[in-house]
Amino acid sequence: MIAAKYYLLLSAAVFCIGLFGILTRRNALIFLMSIELMLNAANINLVAFSAQHGNLSGQVFSLFTMALAAAEVAVGIGIILVLYRNFDDVDVTTATTMRW
Amino acid sequence: MLIELLIAVCLLGAVGVFLLPDRYAPRLSFGISVVAIAVSLYMFSAFDGAGNALLEGGKLAFETNAHWLSLGPYDLSWHVGLDGISMPLIVLSTILTSLAILSAWTPINERKSQFYGLMLLLEGSLIGVFGALDFFVWFIFWEAVLVPMYFLIGVWGGPRRKYAAIKFFVYTNVASLVMFVGFFLLVMGAGVTSLGLPELAQQLATGSVSSVGGLSPQQVKVAAFFAMFAGFAVKVPVVPVHTWLPDAHVEAPTPVSVILAGVLLKMGTYALLRFNFTLLPEVAADFALVLVAIAVVSVIYGALLALAQQDLKRIVAYSSVSSMGYVILGLVAFNLYGLGGATFQMISHGLISGLLFLCVGVIYNTTHTRMVGDMSGLADRMPITAGAMVAGSFAYMGLPLMSGFVAEFMVFSGGFSATFPHAQLLTAIAMFGIVIVAGYYLFAMQRTLFGSFRVATDYEITRAQPHDIAPLVVLIVLIIALGSAPELIFGMIQDAVTPMTELTHTQHAAMGSMELRDVVSTIGGVVR
Amino acid sequence: MAGPLEFAPAIAALPFVSFVIALFFGRYMPKKGALAGITATGGSLLLAVWTYFAVMGNGEPHTEHLHTLVSVAEPFSLELGILIDQLSALMLLIVTLISFLVFVFSLGYMNDEGETGLPRYYAGLSLFSFSMLSFVMASNLFMAFMFFELVGLCSYLLIGFWFREDAPPSAAKKAFIVTRFGDYFFLIGVVGILATFGTSAFIGTGGTESFPALAEHALTGSADHVHTFGFDPQTWFTILALLVLGGVMGKSAQFPLHTWLPDAMEGPTPVSALIHAATMVAAGVYLVARMYGFYALSPTALAIIAFVGGFTALFAATMGVVKREIKQVLAYSTISQYGYMMLALGAGGYVAGVFHLTTHAVFKALLFLGAGAVIVAMHHDEDMWKMGGLKNELPVTYYTFLAGSLALAGIIPFSGFWSKDEVLYEALRLGLNDPVFMAAYAMGLIAVFFTGFYTFRMVFLTFHGEPRTNIAESPHQYGWNMKAPLVVLGALAVVVGLINMAPLAKLTGMDLTYLHHWFEHGGELLTVEHYHHLLTEVSGVHHVESSTGLMLGSGALSLGLALAGVAVAHVLYNVPSPEEHTDKLGSIKTVLFNNYYQDEYQVWLAEGLTANVARAANTFDQGVIDGAVNGVSSVSLFAGERVRKVQTGVVTNYAALLTAGLVVLLVAMGLLGGWF
Repeated sequence: MIAAKYYLLLSAAVFCIGLFGILTRRNALIFLMSIELMLNAANINLVAFSAQHGNLSGQVFSLFTMALAAAEVAVGIGIILVLYRNFDDVDVTTATTMRW
Repeated sequence: MLIELLIAVCLLGAVGVFLLPDRYAPRLSFGISVVAIAVSLYMFSAFDGAGNALLEGGKLAFETNAHWLSLGPYDLSWHVGLDGISMPLIVLSTILTSLAILSAWTPINERKSQFYGLMLLLEGSLIGVFGALDFFVWFIFWEAVLVPMYFLIGVWGGPRRKYAAIKFFVYTNVASLVMFVGFFLLVMGAGVTSLGLPELAQQLATGSVSSVGGLSPQQVKVAAFFAMFAGFAVKVPVVPVHTWLPDAHVEAPTPVSVILAGVLLKMGTYALLRFNFTLLPEVAADFALVLVAIAVVSVIYGALLALAQQDLKRIVAYSSVSSMGYVILGLVAFNLYGLGGATFQMISHGLISGLLFLCVGVIYNTTHTRMVGDMSGLADRMPITAGAMVAGSFAYMGLPLMSGFVAEFMVFSGGFSATFPHAQLLTAIAMFGIVIVAGYYLFAMQRTLFGSFRVATDYEITRAQPHDIAPLVVLIVLIIALGSAPELIFGMIQDAVTPMTELTHTQHAAMGSMELRDVVSTIGGVVR
Repeated sequence: MAGPLEFAPAIAALPFVSFVIALFFGRYMPKKGALAGITATGGSLLLAVWTYFAVMGNGEPHTEHLHTLVSVAEPFSLELGILIDQLSALMLLIVTLISFLVFVFSLGYMNDEGETGLPRYYAGLSLFSFSMLSFVMASNLFMAFMFFELVGLCSYLLIGFWFREDAPPSAAKKAFIVTRFGDYFFLIGVVGILATFGTSAFIGTGGTESFPALAEHALTGSADHVHTFGFDPQTWFTILALLVLGGVMGKSAQFPLHTWLPDAMEGPTPVSALIHAATMVAAGVYLVARMYGFYALSPTALAIIAFVGGFTALFAATMGVVKREIKQVLAYSTISQYGYMMLALGAGGYVAGVFHLTTHAVFKALLFLGAGAVIVAMHHDEDMWKMGGLKNELPVTYYTFLAGSLALAGIIPFSGFWSKDEVLYEALRLGLNDPVFMAAYAMGLIAVFFTGFYTFRMVFLTFHGEPRTNIAESPHQYGWNMKAPLVVLGALAVVVGLINMAPLAKLTGMDLTYLHHWFEHGGELLTVEHYHHLLTEVSGVHHVESSTGLMLGSGALSLGLALAGVAVAHVLYNVPSPEEHTDKLGSIKTVLFNNYYQDEYQVWLAEGLTANVARAANTFDQGVIDGAVNGVSSVSLFAGERVRKVQTGVVTNYAALLTAGLVVLLVAMGLLGGWF
């Protein structure tokens, strides 16, 4: 059995990739993808700990997360569509009307 | 139940006025305020209280004490009732509000429903402040006063109304916070589970205070005293936390100024009397010199500032700072004439400053200026208003047979007989205020009322309406009545403050035990 | 027993009624309130006469409690009551008489001259009469202070009667502020006396003692119930006496608080006669006499009173020498004469002081009313250099004015001679023992010369010589209502001195010192004997034994000086067309014309110093205190302005901040939790 720490390393790597994407990219769609990556990093953790502790709570949680991710994509795409309609772009840095 | 009735009349009246169209508002609100006067006068005649509301043996008039709810470890009650200190203040509030509403008929021409509704809301809150005996109830009304006042200044005020309203609101609200902290420090120290003020006072009078969070019992008392003092001092106001007052007065419309000077400032002195000087008299005695120094500075400095002003409203505003200094002096003296005189001065100053603001208001309504240099010889065209202003000015100067003289004389007698060090000298210094006050009012009168007629603004001078003049006449009559027969209210005031003077009879012996280093160590303790 | 004393409160109440009538209904009345005032003061006069004879009859003082202002068990109540004794009965007579005559005179001076605002005028006069009479009758110092202030208000209102002009309101303001400054000390004194003795009664009633009696006990033995606040009783009583003296000096226009009185001449002349010559200004002196039992206990206070009095007498007399306006001369002469009264009281001459108060009230009211008549005749021009030769046109005025002038100058046998002579004699008797009193006496004596001079300079310039203007050639004539008061007062000015002819009594051995006997009766502690006892036994103030030679010498000396003054005036000014000799005085004239620059420094104190301090305080208040308040809000606003820039609107930045926060949190937890 692979030790949990390798899963954690994998999940950290995936999370960091997602975070990197959010911090560096400007396309809203790529934001969404990056968020998916971060969510999945959390899922990896949940599943890994579930296997280590030998109960199913973690796996149940990961199913919830997937459902949440689906919902999030649905809402997120909607927001991006509105963003596109208003700003003719999906660049997040142009939509700064809610700043100070 | 009469206090509740009085508050309900004002608050329900306020709602009614809010909902009705503008054209009904002036008369309706005046009618409601007259009903409030009638109720309060009935209460005054049926007053059967005795002693001090907070102290042993006090019998309250119109008391209601019902458990309300429990909040954390504390039991909160709806506890209202009156003694000889609060009764006259309630009558003052109802009378002044009514006169202020009458005086608003001329100058207030827009959003009338809201204006008069807020005035009634203010009146209800003020009555609540003076009637409440449970801290929680009291605090609700205390804060509730700010809201209508904020809008009254901020909506109907002069050119810098927003600045003045925000300054007033923030200043007094921060002060409330400081006071709140101080009060709860004391509650925790006393270890009471009720926020009723009588319970707390009697606990403090008989039991000891325990230490709170690293502060020794004495430090708890001192810290609580000064936190509360700081909080109330802003409302009074005393120097150096007085600067909101002139701004608020200058920007507020005249009827609001009347309430602000006449009643709102008395909330501060009333709270000082009820909280600081009733709950912690020994701390007050220990720091008598500090407090009396504040009083003397307020008197002299406030009077000097009034001397330098050109705006009639600012003159009255700063002279209020000066007069409130006398109240503090009387409180610190802590004997019958000191405390009684201070309470009497609250009523007297309410009437006199109200009268002067009303006079300034009438002048402003006709000339559209309040600057001393912009007008002269008004007595020629506005004889009645000028006469009222002369009467008010002399009342303010402490002319005998007017209420100000009795009040000041009692305060001075109290101060002179007080037991704090150098009481005679400090009182004598404070008394110099009566010379300066003569200086600025005589100066203002000479410049504005006398000489050849001239007004810098191009408005036709018309005779004032009866509803402008009536409040002036009522106030002059009241001032002279109280000045020639002070026993009208002083009997009940005396009855209520006498138990307080017995509080410190033993504690005065220990006076002077608190030195500067104790103050420093207390501050250090609070910081820790 | 409805004796006259039962009606004593009505003496003051009647003018109050006329005040109310004149104020509210005056404008509907034919003479605008004058008739109400005349009726009321006339009634008061009759009652005062009746009271006077009642006091003469039974001799005992009458006290009555009227109203309790504030009633407390401890430490003292504030009460109003009346005290009718020899002193107040005499003063009531003076005040009601002069009030009555002034009301009558006002019919001519105000109504006939077509003044407007008469209800206000008569209301003010009535209120003044009420306040002054109440002050005179006051049974305690607290009440005396109350009405002392109220007469000040009336003075303010009446000086500023012509408020549409610039000068009267200004003069009124000055009068009130200067006297207020004195009253400040008086107020401290009243508060102090109440706090010290627990009473401010002038006379003991029903088991309580008066405060002078308590003070006496404190000095001679038991100091029970007397709190002297850590001071030696003698010192403390002197302090209290001097504090009350502050009010006296303000009201009685003693140096350095005399500056308001000449300005007060801006008021209508009848007002000057009533308030600023005969009665209100006398209030200060009366107060000293009223509580003489207290002053007699403090030799220091007495010396100060005498010295200030003597100095004021001389000081004011020199200024009267150069004035051009008739009322100004009279104003300075008033100040000077009140100096004499103070000198007398300070020198232990209680009777002399009150005597001079009485005669002065009569002849100075006469002179002012006479001056008023002249002013009406001259169409309201007061400059003496525009008059001249009025003697033939205005004979009634001339002869009555002359009687008053002779009295003022102190020429035998006119009233002023007797009283002034007694004042100087008392001062001399004390002065021979004590150099301070000798100096005061010397100043008073020199002032006699100036008094004779300025008085007759005024008479000669006004009535003698050739008319210097057209108006003076054919002056405006006036009616009986102005002449009648002049005649009454003129007659009195001649004879009122007869009530106390001490030199003549000494010379002939006849019993002619009626006033002295008058004050030998009355309340046990209010008699002249008792005061004498206090002076000698408690204070150790000793007069030189009275002798015929000394008395006649003193009288001859002052009479000689007065005659010399008159003679100089005669030489210089009793010529057909007199010149202004004042120029010969050179720079002294400038100093005198400017009143020794007293006004300048007082105005500087009020406007230069106080107003500048006030402006500085205002700048400080707006800049530093309010600046600090605004500073706090500015700092908050500024900080908020900066911090809100964090809210960029760019999602990436928020995410970066989130991440950074997480990292910081992790590192901090790691450091504190010991991970590293």
